[in-house]
Amino acid sequence: MSRLLAVLLGLFALLGPIPAAAAPVDTGHLEAELVAQERGAVPGGTVYVALRQKIDKGWHTYWRNPGDSGEPTTITWTLPAGWQAGDIVWPTPARMPIGPLVNYGYSGEVLLPVPIQVPVTAEVGSTATLKADVTFLVCELTCIPEYATLTLAVPVVADAPGADPAWGGKVAATLAAAPRAAGLAAVYAVQDDTVRLAVTGGPLKGADLSRAYFFPFDATVLDHAGPQPIERGADGLTLSLPAGVAVSAGQTPAIIAGVLSLGDRAFEVSATAGTIPAGALGGGTLPPAPVEDHGPTAAIGAAIGLPLALVFAFLGGLILNLMPCVFPVLSMKAAALARHAHDTRAARMQGIAYLLGVLVTFLALAGVLIALKAAGQAIGWGFQLQSPAMVAALALVMLLVALNLSGVFEAGLSLQGAGGGATSRGGLTGSFLTGVLAVVVAAPCTAPFMASAMGFALTQDAWLSLPVFAALGLGLAAPFVLLSFAPGLLRRMPRPGPWMETLRHVLAFPMYAAVAWLVWVLAQQTGPMGLALALSAGVLAAFAAWLWGLAQRRPPAPVARGLAAVLAVAVIALTGLLAMESPATSTAAAEGAGEAAEVPSEPWSPDRVAALRAEGRPVFVNFTAAWCVTCQVNERTSLSTKAVADALTRNNAVYLKADWTRRDAVIAGALTEHGRAGVPLYLVYGADGSAPVILPQLLTEGMVAEALDKAAAR
Amino acid sequence: MTLTRRSALALPALALFPTAALAAPAPAFSLKDADGVTRTLAEFRGKVVVMEWINEGCPYVKKHYQGNMQATQKAALADGAVWLSVCSSAPGQQGHVDGAGAKRFIADKGASPTAFLLDPTGVAGKAWGAKTTPHMYIVDKAGELVYQGGIDDKPTANVADIAGATNYVKAALADLKAGRPVKVAFSKPYGCAVKYA
Repeated sequence: MSRLLAVLLGLFALLGPIPAAAAPVDTGHLEAELVAQERGAVPGGTVYVALRQKIDKGWHTYWRNPGDSGEPTTITWTLPAGWQAGDIVWPTPARMPIGPLVNYGYSGEVLLPVPIQVPVTAEVGSTATLKADVTFLVCELTCIPEYATLTLAVPVVADAPGADPAWGGKVAATLAAAPRAAGLAAVYAVQDDTVRLAVTGGPLKGADLSRAYFFPFDATVLDHAGPQPIERGADGLTLSLPAGVAVSAGQTPAIIAGVLSLGDRAFEVSATAGTIPAGALGGGTLPPAPVEDHGPTAAIGAAIGLPLALVFAFLGGLILNLMPCVFPVLSMKAAALARHAHDTRAARMQGIAYLLGVLVTFLALAGVLIALKAAGQAIGWGFQLQSPAMVAALALVMLLVALNLSGVFEAGLSLQGAGGGATSRGGLTGSFLTGVLAVVVAAPCTAPFMASAMGFALTQDAWLSLPVFAALGLGLAAPFVLLSFAPGLLRRMPRPGPWMETLRHVLAFPMYAAVAWLVWVLAQQTGPMGLALALSAGVLAAFAAWLWGLAQRRPPAPVARGLAAVLAVAVIALTGLLAMESPATSTAAAEGAGEAAEVPSEPWSPDRVAALRAEGRPVFVNFTAAWCVTCQVNERTSLSTKAVADALTRNNAVYLKADWTRRDAVIAGALTEHGRAGVPLYLVYGADGSAPVILPQLLTEGMVAEALDKAAAR
Repeated sequence: MTLTRRSALALPALALFPTAALAAPAPAFSLKDADGVTRTLAEFRGKVVVMEWINEGCPYVKKHYQGNMQATQKAALADGAVWLSVCSSAPGQQGHVDGAGAKRFIADKGASPTAFLLDPTGVAGKAWGAKTTPHMYIVDKAGELVYQGGIDDKPTANVADIAGATNYVKAALADLKAGRPVKVAFSKPYGCAVKYA
């Protein structure tokens, strides 16, 4: 312990003086402390000191205008003579619905920076103690006022002290992300019970306005809980804000000021009464911005977005190993690894080849996806399974792999015996291809952890999204790479022998299952005719594989080989025909999805949602796809149940289904709007027209029923 | 600009949780009181009515029930006004009380409302647009809503802040008594969110 202390002291000595905060104070439902952006204060300068709140999960504190209820955090400073504290630089808050009300506040970790002016008379070498008496209202469903007295000792230094090692980056990121005046012009006009707020200026031109929302500074100007429909214009936008009590009373203030958030950026705007400029109109309307998940990332912003996304991506990749669509590929890999159990070098090479296969494919897919997005295509993750020909090709590949495992034919020489230069090279190609195959079939199994990481990745710039995909690949490959690099583990595997043939034959069956699943997906996409084509291709492929195997066992057998080649061409032609097969109509697809009839649904469209909301009915939207296993599991276990059917009837709610089995730009747009890159996505709109609630990706029937009950009460 | 409730209702998509319009008839209600008797706003026509949204578990309500709310109440009653405390906490939510619970609260706090109204479904709270506890409303003798908002101008949970605060309810009642228009007709309500279902 004392040695640790000595090391720490030594480190401090190396770094020079740093502001010394008293330990964080736990006030009951949050932890508070003062942290500084820089390691010291320069006489005549300004140092940013932030009040850091780490709020218990499920609890929140408030923005400067707390919304319909609540109270903002306040700081009363006691500073040395001549030192002056400015106002809190409030980060953009999150909207927090509570029943029919909406609050503005923060959850997770939030920093509230305050500029502190250092007098020119401050003595270099001295230490200033900054004291803050802080009041918080912390609320979950109930509210608790909490208090803390916090101190921070700041060394006064002669010149540029440099960033505080622990907090400098976070304070800087918070300041950078905070709403700022950006020279935007703002005008408001009151019409009946609506305040039309027009904002125009350079930063809004061409910006994504779908998440635009105005947070007013004054609590009496607007109805916080009301939706804010968006109209785009060439130079900016116009929001239709529901009037608050001051406006309804005819006492609209001369200036309506607040924060215009675009979701990823926010600006301070100050509007005066006037005529809405033409540049703020005419570009079409957008639905009101949905309430976003206010996780810990909301306040800190992109600064911790990437590391968190990387962690989620890695975990998501790991979990993919257990998913039903990846398992067959893994089983094949296990068989290959067992063969090399007693040749560590070969095992390692195979591990690396597999890793490369996974990474290259992931990055290639990501590259294609980014390129297509850049070209304006509305697509998302899993897109490679939206083309029937692609699904059929995958099914045939899986079928061949399964037949190979069953021993119908051998792929070259690679699977015969262990050791030998040529063999291990062949094995390497095989391992690489296994990696490729794993990624391609893994995509539809967007595991819960991956959804947010994918959503993050696909809404970022390319250079930010590629690391996320790489992390996903590392996670997927990790178990096998680790196994192949652990001779201890490998040595525990039994010696090669006749049992391996049996294992191979057994492992063929998960592959057949995968083929069956892909063919089922195909049936959803194309209907009976496409199914017939695919099944014919499958039978021909199997026959070709058997002929090829025959030739291998009794060389040279030119007739068998030739016939196999002809059949292979026929298979490819049939698959090609599938590409031209007309898509199944949406109703046919819906019937094919095997609905248990007891839960009636309607096809989703933005217009239908708007119409139902105008009627004041709760709406449940299910964004799904036949190739999305999570979606299917949810539909079977949670959505096609009596509890959900009853909840829908009880609440006069409507169930809308957005089927993304085939490519659809409108659905892709709706997914993006909610920060997602793929399905499933479940939304519940309240009866009062407020922003929808996003349900988790793994549903239970109780969860859905409860959400519907709450939606009806809203 | 004068707004009527009709125009608020004409835009249902925007005015989903309307604030009760000022200088307009106050929304009617029909609620059971702590004794199980049905009370309506209409029965108090001709009197000034103070409506107070309440949740006994809320720190802001506790702040004012250390004497301030009772004093405001007594002064109002002395001037001939009616005082109605309304609880819109849903069953199972903070502050939900039945008739016996309401009477216990009144006895504990030495409060003297004309009636303690039970609104467990939140129907009256939502019609009035009650957002917080406390959330105060004043209806004049003609049944027009003349004040809505907080009890005072210090939106904190700290009892010490009552001393320096301007009590808007007292001010509005004084204006009514003197026959003046109510000077501050609305303010930001503050406190805990009303615990609707």
